[in-house]
Amino acid sequence: QVSVLYFARSAELAGLRSETLSVPRQITSLQLWEEIVKVHPRLAVIRDQVVFAVQQEYVLLGDQLLVLQPGDEVAIIPPISGG
Amino acid sequence: LCLGTTRNNFEGKKVIHLEYEAYTSMAEAEIKKICRDVRQKWPSVKHIAVHHRLGVVPITEASVIIAVSSPHRAESLEAVMYCINTLKASVPIWKKEIYEDEYSWKENKECFWANSEK
Repeated sequence: QVSVLYFARSAELAGLRSETLSVPRQITSLQLWEEIVKVHPRLAVIRDQVVFAVQQEYVLLGDQLLVLQPGDEVAIIPPISGG
Repeated sequence: LCLGTTRNNFEGKKVIHLEYEAYTSMAEAEIKKICRDVRQKWPSVKHIAVHHRLGVVPITEASVIIAVSSPHRAESLEAVMYCINTLKASVPIWKKEIYEDEYSWKENKECFWANSEK
């Protein structure tokens, strides 16, 4: 069970800012994205423009294997525009 | 000192105001990393301050301020550049430009996962 956080455009598409999702403890970042899109299909349009932050470390969508602990924070990070 | 203030137009559209949101805990952590980097690269730097407004920021007001002090100006100027450039590339803050009848989520060119051909 991980905590998924949505920001900016991804929060608009998903319609919420955070939720708890059940995912396998070991999963690639791409598979994690696909799990999230199953719940929020409208997110599919931004697939090429987002990265994850898993426990506040950036992770690209791809083959990287994540080892998740219960309560870990996974954030969807659309292109940033601070400063 | 670097002070980022809001322009009142973008591509001919009138900007009413900006809205900023952040992944606050991670933004703070990333800003701390930037400060650590500055101290490593420019050991003579004395003080560093980085402030970013969140929520609504009206036109002409500042949304970000970066201040660095050092015995000689070269280090401060380089460190300030480094701070603002790295902030734009790595700190999870998002800006929404509000126009008269639409809005737009902005994307920094420094952001490596943004879709740059538009």
